[in-house]
Amino acid sequence: MPNTGKSTFFNRLTGSSSRVGNWPGVTVELLSARTILGNDAVEVVDLPGIYDLHGFSDDEQVVRSFLENNVVDQVVMILNASQLEHQLPLALQIYKLGMKPVLLVNMIDEADQLGIRIDAQALSKSLDCPVLPVSARNGTGLKEVRETLIEKLKSSQVLRPSELKAYLHADDELVAQAELLISRHVSSPSHLVRVMTERIDRVLLHPLFGLPLFFLAMFLVFQAVYTLGAPLQDAVAYLLELFRSWALEPLASVLPATLYGFLVDGLYDGIGTVASFVPVIILFFFLMAIIEDSGYLARAAYLTDALMARLGLDGRGFVMLLMGFGCNVPALMGTRVMRSRSLRLLSMLVIPFSLCSARLQVFIFITTALFTPKQAPVILFFMYMASFAAAFLTALLFGRRLKSDEPFVLELPPYRSPVLFQVLMRGWHEISHFLRRASTFIITGVVLVWWLTHYPEGATPGGEGTYASMLGAWLRPVLEPIGISAVMSVVLLFGFVAKEIVIGAIVAMTGLQGAALNSYLATQMDAVQAISFMLFILLYTPCLSTLATQLNESRSWQFATVSLAWSLGLAWIVSFGFYQGARLLGY
Amino acid sequence: MKQPEIDLTDLSRLRTGQAAHITGIHAPDDIRQRLQAMGLRTGREAQVIRCTRLGPMQIRVGSVDLIMRRRDAARVSIVAKK
Repeated sequence: MPNTGKSTFFNRLTGSSSRVGNWPGVTVELLSARTILGNDAVEVVDLPGIYDLHGFSDDEQVVRSFLENNVVDQVVMILNASQLEHQLPLALQIYKLGMKPVLLVNMIDEADQLGIRIDAQALSKSLDCPVLPVSARNGTGLKEVRETLIEKLKSSQVLRPSELKAYLHADDELVAQAELLISRHVSSPSHLVRVMTERIDRVLLHPLFGLPLFFLAMFLVFQAVYTLGAPLQDAVAYLLELFRSWALEPLASVLPATLYGFLVDGLYDGIGTVASFVPVIILFFFLMAIIEDSGYLARAAYLTDALMARLGLDGRGFVMLLMGFGCNVPALMGTRVMRSRSLRLLSMLVIPFSLCSARLQVFIFITTALFTPKQAPVILFFMYMASFAAAFLTALLFGRRLKSDEPFVLELPPYRSPVLFQVLMRGWHEISHFLRRASTFIITGVVLVWWLTHYPEGATPGGEGTYASMLGAWLRPVLEPIGISAVMSVVLLFGFVAKEIVIGAIVAMTGLQGAALNSYLATQMDAVQAISFMLFILLYTPCLSTLATQLNESRSWQFATVSLAWSLGLAWIVSFGFYQGARLLGY
Repeated sequence: MKQPEIDLTDLSRLRTGQAAHITGIHAPDDIRQRLQAMGLRTGREAQVIRCTRLGPMQIRVGSVDLIMRRRDAARVSIVAKK
């Protein structure tokens, strides 16, 4: 079931960090983790939250095919204590398949506050399967869950659901059965009133002020990332510099000059500069996690749906765009909750234009180097606007070909205060994600760019005569009209793989840092060229992973090709228009 | 003349605060399945919590709040309480 705290429970049980969001359908990949229960190691798989075993969305199909094709020892179902009447039918569907699920009635604290009383023992007897009240947020009841699972796994027989479809007709019976059970074992006040949620919604969903408040909130998030992130970034840079001068330089000084240049000025500084952005990114994801956990994203969907409907998308598409600000890849996977293929394809075409955190790094790097502290945030804001504009333009142009009649129905969860544990898990998740990327293609990219900009032997590093400048000359006919210099075009070439490489590559190829690097950049591009460069970075394909995800999720080469060609073409046209226009106006 | 006690209509025509009993869902199988799974089932009471002219409506069914477009709410037929 979506919105029941399934991922929170999963994290509690396994100590792993799957993504958690107060938004139906966040868990779209099959996350699994190993944990010890009693004396055995077991593998726990976190399935997508669904409403129905035989629905038509990709999520529901994922669960169905998982249950059909995998040997499962024990099914654990997480239900929301205050919505049992909607959730028991699914439990009964599972039961009908011949699996005896362990039912966890989660958010029992929330139900308590609402005055809902559940007789778990009696319910357990009627259902003939364990029913345990828990609160995954506070961790209450988890000990009992572990004990029950250990007990169950001892006696469990491996389940192979033979005939799934045969069961799936007796639905109405199941609903009636569920209602009978509820009336016997659950007592709730005739009208549930969530005072806090309704009070907050009266302001945040206000017909006139709701949308402006939403944009204000988003603006504050980015402002906070920028103002809080900058000192953190300086601190990491300082520590890396300290390590360099105290340990790395004395140790590496025995090495020959070329190797020293490669290791210290190239690799260490290149990767170090990318790493100095990690605190900014973590901060960004902390704030996003707080917003996601709070339940505000579903409100964002409510507020923006009217606008998105005109673009042929819906409110969920807008939320995916917002999630894309973190990273495009999970946002693309999040579209699996959409049933209609054309709506999904349109959303997946639009998402790569949302300004992800990797591109944010490049923009912060370039704006701090080339613009005054007053200009920098304005230009950053302009980039976010350009990101939205490109997304909306794309939706408008392709929306006509990709029409859908997908119903827009979404659960509006009550507001919940974010759990620190979850938010911290999320930060750790981002660090490990960065380390994985850093250890693979960021290092490779930085090394390659260093080599291209320092060889053949005798060429001026980063200047004429290097392989890089030859490559740059070859790209000149395409990139000169948009104001991108030969050296920078090589950087763009590598940015295709991952945007983090762009910064690392600029540092590695110049061997410079700080003020010296800034003045070098100023020789490579003026303000107009810098903005044109950033617009190009914003719009052309975000990274190889995004492209691969588009291909995987759409299962269509044609779609991935169209998306790639469109984003490259749009990037070039927009940069060309901006650069030539600004030059014509005399800038 | 006396007003009729009940009124047959669809969910999209209710105004903020009004409640009604659901009598059916008129949509292709897959869409009906989805709406039902989210709690919109015949016999249940649905109440409009919030609606604006352009945006979606907020509907309360039992303990669940849903947001849905007017177009989709029009698929749900109801008996309105007067």
